Amino acid sequence: MDSNIKQETNVTWVSYLVLFIVIVIFSGIFAKSTGIFKAVDFGQLVGDFGKIPFEKGYNFRGTGGSGAKDGFLMALQLTPPVILALGIVSICEGYGGLMAAHRLLSPLFRPLLGIPGICGLAFIASLQSTDTGGGMTKELFDSGFISDQERTIFCQFQLSGDATITNYFGSGAALFPFLILPLGLPLLVIFFFKILGANIMRFIINMDFKRQADNTAH
Amino acid sequence: MAENRLGILDMFVAGARRGFNISMTGMLPNVVMAFVVIRFLNLSGLLTLISKIAAPLMAVFGLPGEAVVVLVTAFMSTGGGCGSAAALAASGSISYVHATQLLPCIILMGSMIQYMGRCLGTADASRKYWWLHCVISVMNGLLALWVMKILILFTG
Repeated sequence: MDSNIKQETNVTWVSYLVLFIVIVIFSGIFAKSTGIFKAVDFGQLVGDFGKIPFEKGYNFRGTGGSGAKDGFLMALQLTPPVILALGIVSICEGYGGLMAAHRLLSPLFRPLLGIPGICGLAFIASLQSTDTGGGMTKELFDSGFISDQERTIFCQFQLSGDATITNYFGSGAALFPFLILPLGLPLLVIFFFKILGANIMRFIINMDFKRQADNTAH
Repeated sequence: MAENRLGILDMFVAGARRGFNISMTGMLPNVVMAFVVIRFLNLSGLLTLISKIAAPLMAVFGLPGEAVVVLVTAFMSTGGGCGSAAALAASGSISYVHATQLLPCIILMGSMIQYMGRCLGTADASRKYWWLHCVISVMNGLLALWVMKILILFTG
């Protein structure tokens, strides 16, 4: 899948504002509010299909369907949210919101993941595309910006839950009708474990490295 | 500014087009496939059999036996995993609680077989640790099942 990451998108205060608004839209915090803030909730913006006026008012998918036909209509139902989500992400990208996220996050890379801040662009790319993230990581290593160990740690972060945004709002949308938590919460859990997994790898690699160093010393 | 920025509507449409493609060519075939697989398993009685066998293992995570279908499909394909969870939830074989619980797990251990090539292979990551990458990712998914269970309990 292609990423639209441009190397030189300008990051201004608008970028940070757009990023903040997009996070609020996807978080689900205003899903149940009664005031005007409902207007910025993703689920509310997705809306509802009209009901076919049978006795219980089901929508075009009806009830009691099964197999390929039912699956087809279900996927059709799920297409508007995916279109909306990626449209919003695209706007965020266009205004430099993703680069703003990169600026906010890259000081955290060293303490949180043990990798240098220069991984930021590949980090953002990996949220949208597995192949782009992998390719940029290889470039980082080939250019000498990251070591082999840092590459392994970074790859672990990427691999588990790769193309996170694309998968969550693409395939994951299949489960949105059944979610009983705010939309952003499972996504936070995913990021928590991506970071945890990378740190487990970081720990094991460091142990391995120390053991090898000890072995060669003796 | 040398950069030629598209208007906001053009940005939206470009992303919307990607979303449409992902949905129609990625998600839809996976959901259709998953619904067909679940239908097959239901008609053949295999789903009942599999869920009986897997029930003790799935109970460790607070999930019904049927959920093992989701985990196995997710490992091969994230879209397939999400689709099968949706199919099971739609037919009432798993509850909304279970479906919510499964979402992070599916994403975290999803498409492991293909992603190992597309991420680790493309990045040329050290072969020595590929098995560990796989183990950690699956562990991430399974631990997430517990975390989600706790979160759901806490938020009532």
